[in-house]
Amino acid sequence: MIITRQKDFGEIKKYIKQYRNFFLIGCAECATVCGTGDEKAIQSLKNWLQSQNKTVTGWMIAKAGCQIFGTKREISHYKDLIEKSQCILVLSCGVGTQTITELFEEKPVIPVNDTLFIGNMRRFREFEERCRACGDCLLAITGICVVTLCPKQMLNGPCGGYKGECCEVNSDTKCAWVVAYRILEKNGVADKFYKKISGPKNWLKANSPRRYSARKGIDRI
Amino acid sequence: MTGFKKKLLNDQFVFTVELTPPRGANTDRMIQKIEELKDLVDAVNFTDNPSAKMRMCSMAACKISLERGLEPVLQMTCRDRNRIAIQSDLLGAHALGIRNLLLMTGDHPFLGDHKEAKPVYDIDSSLLIRLVNNLNKGIDINRNRIDGKTSFFYGAVVNPNAEPIQPQLKRFEQKIRMGAKFFYTQMIFEVEKLERVVEYAEKFKVKIVAGIVIIKTKRMLKYLSSKVPGVTVPHWLTDKIEKLDDKDMQKFGFDFATSAIYKIMDRKLSHGIHIMAISGTEEVKKLLNFFKTGI
Repeated sequence: MIITRQKDFGEIKKYIKQYRNFFLIGCAECATVCGTGDEKAIQSLKNWLQSQNKTVTGWMIAKAGCQIFGTKREISHYKDLIEKSQCILVLSCGVGTQTITELFEEKPVIPVNDTLFIGNMRRFREFEERCRACGDCLLAITGICVVTLCPKQMLNGPCGGYKGECCEVNSDTKCAWVVAYRILEKNGVADKFYKKISGPKNWLKANSPRRYSARKGIDRI
Repeated sequence: MTGFKKKLLNDQFVFTVELTPPRGANTDRMIQKIEELKDLVDAVNFTDNPSAKMRMCSMAACKISLERGLEPVLQMTCRDRNRIAIQSDLLGAHALGIRNLLLMTGDHPFLGDHKEAKPVYDIDSSLLIRLVNNLNKGIDINRNRIDGKTSFFYGAVVNPNAEPIQPQLKRFEQKIRMGAKFFYTQMIFEVEKLERVVEYAEKFKVKIVAGIVIIKTKRMLKYLSSKVPGVTVPHWLTDKIEKLDDKDMQKFGFDFATSAIYKIMDRKLSHGIHIMAISGTEEVKKLLNFFKTGI
C-alpha cells in the first residue's frame, strides 16, 4: 500500500491562511489503514480547523481516491457543500490529491498528508518500504527487493560496508544482500547467481512520468 | 606499461599509499605530500570523495601527481555518477595519461557531509569493472564501438573483515570474473582475516594489496571502528590500547603496523602493502623508510 503521514498543522496553516471555508476528502484505501484518511483523521482535522476559526462545509471519504471516475461519481453527491467551500483539503496520498485537483480545476486543492513510500505494515501502523516500483521486478531471483532494501541498489551482491550482518547505512537493519544470500543458498542457486552478472539496470522502466494501459497492454498511452 | 602494473604483474612487492585530495582550492599540502612520498612508494591512490565527504576530484589529483613524477591510481566510485558520466570521466582520465584504476561502489552519502545529496548508484562496482573491461576492448557499456581503446590497468576492493564472509568472497570471485586484475583490501587489524581471502583467491591469478593503517590515537581507532564502513577493530586491540598513554600509543601504532606488514610478507599473503589515508604523513614516511632500508 501507499504509506502516508499527516503534515504538521503548522505547515498546513501556511497553505490555508487565506481561506475560511473548507471541504474535506478522505480515502477508504491505504490512507485509512495509515490513519491519515479515515473518519477519525477527518474529525481531528475538522476540530483543528474550527479551533483556527475556520468553517468546514462538509466532508466525505472516497472509496479509492486514486480512481478518477469513481471518485468523480461519489463526489457529485456533495456538489453543493463543495461549492460553498473556498478550498478542498485532501486526506489521502499524493495520487488521490491529484484526482481532486483534476476534478476541481478552479478550486485550490491542498494535501494534508505527505506520501512516504510503498510499504508493508508489520505491526499496527508500523510501516516498512518494500518496493520502489522500478518496473522490473527481481524478486523471483533474490526473494527480497534489493533495489529497495539495499541503499546502494546493488544488483550483484553486497558492498564491502556491512558489519556483523548489518547495513553500513542503517546499522539496525540487516544487509539486504546478506539476507538475499541466504535465500539464494536455500534455493540452491547462490553459486549460479554469482557466476553471472546482473544489470546494468534498465532505468528506462522507472523514468517518470510513467503511464501504462492494461487494456491495450502498452506502457505509453 | 606503468611501473605499478609491471611490478605487480612481475610479482614484485609494491608499496602504495593513499592520499585524499584537498577540500578546497589549495593544492599546496597535497603537492608537498606527493613530493615527500614520490621516492618511497610505487604508486599513490587518490580517493574519490572518501566517506562521501566532498573533496577535489581524484582525476585532477592524479594529473598533478603524474606531472610530478609519482604514478597515480585513480579511485572511481559509482556513488556520484551515472553510467554516462563514469564512461566520460574515464575517457577523460585516459586522455590525461592516467592508467591505473581502483574501482568501487563508494560509501553512501548518508555517511558524509552532504547527507541530503541524491545517491546515484546507477551501476555497482561489478558492472563498473565490466565497463572498464569493455572500454579496454574498444566498446562502451552498451557494447557499442568507441573511437580508440583505453589501456587501463584496473582493480577492485575486497573486505576481509566482512562477517559473514561468504557473500563477500562470492562477490570477490565475481569481480575477478569481470576482469579485475588486482585487489586492494579494507584495512586489516587481524592478519588471519586476510588469510581467508588469500586462501579463497589461490585458484585465481589475482594480485592482492593489503590495506594497513598506522594507528596514532585512541580516538582515531574509535573513529575507524564506529564511523568507517567495513572496518572491524577486534576487542583485544581496543582493550590493549585502552591501557596505553598517548606517547606509548604512537609507538604501539607504528610497531603494530610494522609487525602486521612483516607477518603479511613472511606468510606471502599479499603482493603489496597499501597504507590508508588516515595514517599521518610523517608516520607513513617513517614506516616506508623503515621497510625500504630493511628489505
